[in-house]
Amino acid sequence: MTTTTTEPQFAERYDVVIVGAGLAGCALAQALAQADPRARRSILLVDLHRDVSPRFSGEFIHPRGAAVLDELGFYGRLIAAGGVDVDGFVVAEDASEAEPVVLDYADVPGERARGISVHHKTLVRVMRQVVRERGQVDVRAPWRVTELIRDQSTQAIAGVVLSGSSGQRHEVRCDLVVAADGKASTVRKLAGIPDTRESLGFTAGLEIRNATLAQPLYANVLLGGPGPMLCYPITRHPDGSLDFRLTFDLPCALPAKGRELGDYLLDAFVPYLPAPLGDQVAEVLRARVEPVEIAPTFNLPAPPATLPGLALVGDAAGCSHPITASGMTMGLLDAMALARAAKRRAHVASDQPWLDADSLRRYRIEHERYVPTRQALADAIFEAFRGSGSGARGIRRALFSYWRSGQRQRVRSLALLACAERRPRIFLTEYLKTAGHVVHSSLTPRHAAHLPASDRLRRVQGAVGLAGTKVGLLAHVAWSQVRPTWLGLVTG
Amino acid sequence: MTAQPSSLDLAIDRTQSWCRTWWTRIHHTASPWLVAIPDIGPTCEVLLADALFHDLRVDERDGLVAWIRSQQHDDGSWRDANDQPDLSLTCMAWWALVQHGADPNEPALDQALRLVHELGGARRANAIVRLWLAMAGVVPWAWIPAVPAELYLLPEYAPLSPARLSPWARQMVTAVHLLAEGPARFSMVDAGDLLLYGRDGEPVPPRLTTPGLAGDLLQAFDKTIKLARTLPRGQVHRRSLARARRWIDATQQAHGGWFSLRPTIYSLLALRVGGACSDDPRVRRGLDYLRRARGVIEVGEGRRVLAQSLSTRPLAKLARLGMVAGPSPGVPIEGVRERLLATEIARPGPWQLRADTATGGWPLEADADSHLDLRTTCSISEALRSADQASTASSRASARRAANVMLAMQEPDGSFAWFERGEADVPLSRLPWRDADQLNLGKPDDDSRVTLSAMVLRELAALGWRREDDRVAKGIAWLEQALVDQGADWTVATSTEVVRAAAAQCVSDHPLRRRAETLLRRRQAEDGSFGDEVATARAVLALLDCCKPCVQTLRAARYLVARVEQLDRQTQGDQALVPNVANVEQPGFGLSPRLRDPSAGVRDIHAALLAFRTAGGQFE
Repeated sequence: MTTTTTEPQFAERYDVVIVGAGLAGCALAQALAQADPRARRSILLVDLHRDVSPRFSGEFIHPRGAAVLDELGFYGRLIAAGGVDVDGFVVAEDASEAEPVVLDYADVPGERARGISVHHKTLVRVMRQVVRERGQVDVRAPWRVTELIRDQSTQAIAGVVLSGSSGQRHEVRCDLVVAADGKASTVRKLAGIPDTRESLGFTAGLEIRNATLAQPLYANVLLGGPGPMLCYPITRHPDGSLDFRLTFDLPCALPAKGRELGDYLLDAFVPYLPAPLGDQVAEVLRARVEPVEIAPTFNLPAPPATLPGLALVGDAAGCSHPITASGMTMGLLDAMALARAAKRRAHVASDQPWLDADSLRRYRIEHERYVPTRQALADAIFEAFRGSGSGARGIRRALFSYWRSGQRQRVRSLALLACAERRPRIFLTEYLKTAGHVVHSSLTPRHAAHLPASDRLRRVQGAVGLAGTKVGLLAHVAWSQVRPTWLGLVTG
Repeated sequence: MTAQPSSLDLAIDRTQSWCRTWWTRIHHTASPWLVAIPDIGPTCEVLLADALFHDLRVDERDGLVAWIRSQQHDDGSWRDANDQPDLSLTCMAWWALVQHGADPNEPALDQALRLVHELGGARRANAIVRLWLAMAGVVPWAWIPAVPAELYLLPEYAPLSPARLSPWARQMVTAVHLLAEGPARFSMVDAGDLLLYGRDGEPVPPRLTTPGLAGDLLQAFDKTIKLARTLPRGQVHRRSLARARRWIDATQQAHGGWFSLRPTIYSLLALRVGGACSDDPRVRRGLDYLRRARGVIEVGEGRRVLAQSLSTRPLAKLARLGMVAGPSPGVPIEGVRERLLATEIARPGPWQLRADTATGGWPLEADADSHLDLRTTCSISEALRSADQASTASSRASARRAANVMLAMQEPDGSFAWFERGEADVPLSRLPWRDADQLNLGKPDDDSRVTLSAMVLRELAALGWRREDDRVAKGIAWLEQALVDQGADWTVATSTEVVRAAAAQCVSDHPLRRRAETLLRRRQAEDGSFGDEVATARAVLALLDCCKPCVQTLRAARYLVARVEQLDRQTQGDQALVPNVANVEQPGFGLSPRLRDPSAGVRDIHAALLAFRTAGGQFE
């Protein structure tokens, strides 16, 4: 190992180097530490930011993710730090129209009744603190990964080159590098995995104190405007009051930038908020001195989750639009999947690799079972909620019509959304049932008694056409669920 | 030491004071001014209808007569929107003047009558002139196209149902149908002089259909219907007529009128023919509406007369003037926002039969609660946004509803409808009637539709609806095609609207934006103007939407400031006087396809100079 500076001191070698100390990285570090009860293994967790990334990011976690946090010992600390137990989703089709649809976690059988929502910065700070307190993980920041070290003979990844804030450089060798550095993963890029990210636009975020919502402990999806809005609690103060996050979905060609973005949101989005919340948001936007925070949104079709010596977890291993709020839960599930593989090899001698090629293959197979379903669902829901085409609007109407047709329908949809349901049969059934509602809701206008037949047919054509374009995706999802494990092992 | 105001500041202050004068004028209690002036047609019809209603006061009658006289040209004609002698207007004006005591032998009327004869006599005039002749008993009812009463029994979605006509035509056709079924017969001054007679001493009848086989067949069908009217008819016919009468009853709006002025006049006549007496509340309310739609206008050297408009005070004018006539530049009139919000449409109307959206948007005039006007909706939405520094829940909800209404009013080709979807291409207008185009409201590709579509797209952009939405993308594609097809013939006013829409919706290198901007920039003259003052003012606003003040914008603004100084000298600083700035033409509907707005000149100059200053523009 070549060391150009003496500080900070790194170990000669680690079993696992996790790049990115966000939710997925911290959860994985903690899960690996738990998988190694005798502390025979060394784990390095590095991050680019000394504190946390200044950009706002995921904050809403489904019950399955909350269960993982609980298992890893984060949940109680997060609640103590202001995390909020959340009850599900409320989806409003339009600010002025019918009653919103309530999708309640408690109705999903066999699942935890509540998820958790935490301010992203609080979440990361608390998780890093918990990991540090355990002492089994070497947490370092700020360090940037500038290169990957490859084994000369096998070309497998065998370490990373880290660069510090004052230019110091360290080569760190390890058996496994885990990229948990988010959707714009540097490690993924350095590993030569093609960047197939597709830009979906931007998300602007505001914090609202004590937002007036009929269902404050739910993630409120507010539709009808130029893009979907999502409002959910992120902090509970000791006095019981709540802070909320309100996000606005913006197109790729940003309609306004800097300070003008606030005015744009006032004119374009605020009218689609329910009246009391609209007043609060308008006040916040007018009083704001700083520009509104924005973050880009991407769709990253799941890349290969492993290479020799490398595993991708969380957003680095595939992400989609945040409207379904499933990204964080996926990151946690990835961490647990990798930790299960590590647990299987907990007995192996410490001079042997902890997570070998077989472990990585197993992780990849498991990862590829749930990620395509989640991505397909998130894409379809985002497209329908944004409603930028007549087909998408038809599907949106059909979704509401389907949800309003019964409790069972709402429960099944929520189970899929919350990553609690992975059976392909259910996914396919849900898809076909929604498609059935598409035809009916497209042919039946809501207000126009004499809407011309040509307009009705155009709606049906758009919706059916859009649904048709998803058939390939659907087949991919179905195949990822039913693919035999042995085939994965062979092809992997 | 206080800095001396610049010429730009002075021009802004001066134009603002003129705007305030206009605001006072349109709100004058006894004699409000008109800001949407049509041709003399509506005035003539009100004067003729007074033969039945006897509602005009002497001062009103004299004022209206003076307006008609002031508009006669040296050749004896009254002109259309294209400044060509208009046979129908000349017939109506001659008759209205004679009806109200003018000597038919006076030179001006004699000249007008000779022109009528040169143009082929009243048989060649439009159906409304022939209707009046029939009601006066001068010509038989066979001169008016017949509407089979049974059409009123068709379901409203049927292509041949009268419900499928444009809102203006629907009301007119129903009223005319009831008048013909009466048949109406009024005692009026003999207008037989307007006709040309054959050798047998009988007036030469008109041809009701266009030449050709289809026209001949339709003419034969028309004769069959009229023949059938002479036969005893049964319950079906009675039910049809009852439905048409119910239609008239049901469509009177809260303001007392029907769709606009002409439908109101003929619906009132139909009510009277149907037996309503002059103190019937429906008739009274209708006559009050006609009175409110009258106003003062200035002709010639400060001479003030009375004219009949197509509506009462248009809400769009109220919104635009209200935004610039406040206590200081850029500050709206106090309370105007609340007034505008109170006029939002709150109950379902016939326009929603083919537009799939909840109730919202604004009508043409206050209390016109049944008919959406998309042009007014755009103007008010824009005004509310500019005035709304402290938006309220109600104003935001109105904006939301307005955006939904705009999107729902898109036609299948991507353009936007003014009053109702499908208004520009109704199935019945495809029949070879001579006046069939009157059944539509505008044409699918005329300039006013381009302007309206551009206005809607600009407003949608401000409300967050950008080209990522397929409806907006379709609208932009339609504008792009219209630019290719007719861009060379567009007026500066049309070009500026398209440039503003493109600037709001498209990136700077988008073909629509690039071409439209180039087209507009090429229209600038040596003196910096883009035509008259209004065209120049609008061009300044469009160029400012595209980029920061450039050389062309600077030259145009300098031209406007120079014109304001010149106009100020004309008024010699008198606050009550407003100089005559070019009248802005805007689309009308029905038989009055153009309206003029005398307040638009000072208003648009003020808005342009204010925007120029706000954007950092200044003269060296």
